[in-house]
Formats: sequence, structure tokens, C-alpha cells
Amino acid sequence: MLAGLSAIFVALAVGFLLDFRGPATLLYPIPLVATNFLDTATVRRSYADLVRAGDDLSDFDCYACHEKGKPPKLRFDADEHLIVPTEHSDIVMGHGSHGRNNNCFNCHNENNLELLQTRDGHEVKFADSPALCGSCHGPTYRDWEAGAHGRISGYWDRDLGEAQRKACVNCHNPHSPRFPSRPPAPGPHPLRPVAEGTAPSGTPSNLGNERVSRVGRDSWRAVVAGTPKALARGDARPTGAAVELAAYPTH
Amino acid sequence: MPTPEPSFTPDPALPEGGVTRRSFLRTSVVLTTGLAALAASLKPLLEMNDFPTAERFLQKYYKEMTPDGMAKVIKRIENEVERQYGIRPHVRDLKPMDGVEFVYCLNLTRCIGCRKCVHACVAENNQSRNPEIQYIRVLRLPDGSLDIEKAEHNYAPESVPEKGYFYMPVQCQQCKNPPCVKVCPVHATWQETDGITVIDYDWCIGCRYCEAACPYWARRFNFTRPSIPKERLNPDMAYLGNRPRRQGVMEKCHFCIQRTRAGRYPACLEVCPAGARKFGNILDPNSEVSYILKNKRVFIQLKEEMGTSPRFFYYFDV
Repeated sequence: MLAGLSAIFVALAVGFLLDFRGPATLLYPIPLVATNFLDTATVRRSYADLVRAGDDLSDFDCYACHEKGKPPKLRFDADEHLIVPTEHSDIVMGHGSHGRNNNCFNCHNENNLELLQTRDGHEVKFADSPALCGSCHGPTYRDWEAGAHGRISGYWDRDLGEAQRKACVNCHNPHSPRFPSRPPAPGPHPLRPVAEGTAPSGTPSNLGNERVSRVGRDSWRAVVAGTPKALARGDARPTGAAVELAAYPTH
Repeated sequence: MPTPEPSFTPDPALPEGGVTRRSFLRTSVVLTTGLAALAASLKPLLEMNDFPTAERFLQKYYKEMTPDGMAKVIKRIENEVERQYGIRPHVRDLKPMDGVEFVYCLNLTRCIGCRKCVHACVAENNQSRNPEIQYIRVLRLPDGSLDIEKAEHNYAPESVPEKGYFYMPVQCQQCKNPPCVKVCPVHATWQETDGITVIDYDWCIGCRYCEAACPYWARRFNFTRPSIPKERLNPDMAYLGNRPRRQGVMEKCHFCIQRTRAGRYPACLEVCPAGARKFGNILDPNSEVSYILKNKRVFIQLKEEMGTSPRFFYYFDV
């Protein structure tokens, strides 16, 4: 029996010395995700946010340029589209899909530019703008009031803390309210390096059956050798040269 | 006088059969070779880096722990984390609240597929960055279809959303009838009274049955020791939640137990720029999720036909 056991151990030892498991699949560097993808800030800042933060409110200081008690004159081109004055060139008139919402005073109060107004003439303060939006977008406003539309942060349990509900203008520019597109955060990295151009698209990365690494005594290091291309081909072998992953550039 | 033939008398000290020079040499050669080979064949052990301490090895099952025992365990975990990362974490054992059952609702009309939830989750829950473990997978599907087998996982356009597609993030559905819990041979995973299916990472044996049982591909296995850069470690931890895991154990979404059981919203919800994610207590008739399930077009529980009865609902505006 002793001889049998010895034979097994000898076989194993020879196996390990000849490295029958083949080269280890290496941990290849994955850049840390950029912190802007972790940011919980809203797309825009509302008037109320600016007041709270004590920031520059000069955009809302209408009577720095306009004259009090004198409604500004609107000009339209031949197609009856509003001509946005150069002083307001940052404004894109894109509210409503058929150019129907084509008049500043649909929402702004012409007699007091520091106020908003609903279509039926109710005055609304800038800080209460959701009420103005809700005067047309009723179902969305109802969802927003119930917390089903829009962003919320803080505490779901109102006994333990407050929830901060964001206003319409935190996400939608009132002049062109479509939610802006943005670059997506990096997608999943496959567990194993794949040769360039052969990455299977549409399949999940295989968090599956492969032996991943025989290195990694130091948790945030990967032992790599050769060029990234060699790594990608999978024929690089560990040499002991350590690369600090934390030093890799972020996306 | 003939010399008396020397008669062979066995040494009384020797056992029956005795040891001859030959048998001694043969045995020692075999033994030495064997031991040397044994040592060589244990070489892979040298690559192991996370031997359990006696304390951890003898630790009790979560449900059998006394408050004193739990306090000790928490101290041990805090010490281990501090030794490894140089940051003293705050580990808590948060219990489910009375009268609370969590439900998650996701608005497919609003999701723009930006994957911010994926990375906020990784940051909040101390997942391994390399190899990469993520609890949320965002699927890109062509408009008008819901065949998730045809979903694109690796989409990488210049900007999202793209025309003609919609996006469906999938994570643990916190089933009411969880197949993963049924198959666990050691009861290391179970459903809590607030609906969260949790894992005792110190009780998990890493058999991955739960991974095979889950129809949502929500469970992840630590094939290697997780690696988290120190500066990205979240020190606010829970025993059943985001404390660092070991090599060889399962992990999955736990609705940010360290936040939600303290009354806060989950990390994926707070980071969502489009407000597509909604979370709350379904037993509270005034909660957002109650409103959504009552009033919105809630169209699926994913893979409803499996009978898992997820607590994760997808809904539409309009």
C-alpha cells in the first residue's frame, strides 16, 4: 500500500513540476471605473438648489437687462417660429414636438419676468416650478407627487430620515425637456482575456468554469508578462514582474 | 569434534517476520520518496493565501449566534478588514424591521442603459474589481421584443439611449419562492422576513448549487481572492451585506442591506440619473412601490413562468 501511495505522490509531484495544469490564466488589468459614473448629482440644478447652495443666481436676475413693467417684445420669423434673441442664445426652443410651444409667455409672466405663470394665469415662483409643469403634464405630475416619476434620494423610511425629491427641472431643461443622452459606463469585462476581434458579442462573460489565477498573494496585484497583445492571446506566462493595478488609467 | 552448527535464533526484540537489511532499505527508500513527493504535490497549497483562523473556523452559524457571539465575530471581521485594508470599518448586524417587506420596481420606459447602477453597486458593496464581480447586468433589447436570450450585454455606443433599443437591468429578484435557497446543502442562504435573500459568507461552502439554480444569473462566485483598492473600500458594512468576501464563496445583490435596513434607499437607486428605479415597503400603502403596483402598467416579473415570484417588478409609463 505504501508503495502505491508513493507512486501516486511521485506522479503528482512530477505532474506539478512539469506544470501539467498548463500556464495559469492571468488576471489582466481592468481599469477602475471613473468616479463620474458613481456621482449621484442630477443632470441640472434647479433654482431651489442654487438658492440652497448660495450660488450664482445672475441667470434669474431678469431686470439686470430688462426694464420693469415693460413686457419684452417677441419676434417671429416668416414660419412663425420664435426668434431667440442673441442675449438668450443658450436657449434652445424645443419644448413640444410640433413647434406649438412657441411663445415665452406660455410659461413666463410677461409683467413680472421673475415669476412664471400657468396658461390660466396663475402666478408661480421659480422655486415652485413643478406646479407649473404639472398644469399641463397632469399624469406625470401625479406620478411625481406619488414618488413614481423622477428621482428620490435619502430615506425610504420617513420615520428614520428625510427623502429628497428632485424637481422636474433637475432632469429636464424646460426649454428642451428631452432627457439628455450620455456616454454609458464601461460594460462587463470577460473573465478571461479574449483575442482581439473575437470577443463574442451578445454572450455573457464567462464567470464560469475557468481556473482564474494562480497568482495574487498580494490582493491588488497581478503578475503579468509580455505585451497586452500577448496577454490577450493567452500565451504570456507569469515572470514575477508585478504591476500595480491601481496605477492603471481609468476609463 | 564437530563444531555445532550455529542455530539461527531470532532476536526476541524483533516482531514476527523481523526486519532484514533488505526490507529496511526498501521501506526507507519508498518512504523517503513518498514523503518528498507528497511535499511536492502539496505545492498548490503554497498558492493559497487565506487560511482560516481558528476563530473563524469555529464560528457558529448566523442563526445560532448569540448577541455576544455576534459582537465577537463583528470585532474579528473589523480587525481582519483593518489588517488587510488599513481602514477600520463599521460592521453591523442589522435585523429585518417589523412590518416591512421590500419590493423593487424598475421603469423600463425611463432606463437609458447608462450602467451607472452597475458601478454604484460595485462601489457600495465592495465587490472584487479584478476579477470583476457585478451584481447588475444591463441588457439591451430591440424595441418590441422581450427575448432576453437575444439581449446584448456588451453594448458600447458613444452615447445612450440608442434609437430602436430599450434597456433592462437584471439583478437578484429577491424571489418569494427562491430556488437558490432550496438547493443550498448547508443552509448558508435563506430568505429573511423582509424579503431579502441573504448569504452567511462564513457558512457558505462554495458548492455553487445556488448559482446553477438561479434562473436570473444573479449569483456570483469568488474564484479568486477579491481585490478592492483601499481607496475604494466602503467602510459602512453589514454582516449579511457588503463586508468583504473570501475566495470560494458566493455573493449576490442583497438590496444594499446596510442601507435599506437603516431606512435608506439602495445605492443603485440613488445613482440612477433617470429615476427609473423605485424601492420601498410594499406593506406600506403610501409607499412609492405600492402606488406603482396599483396604478402603473406593471407588465412583468421576469421569467414569471418559473414560479419564483420575484419581488422585482418591471413597469412602463403610459
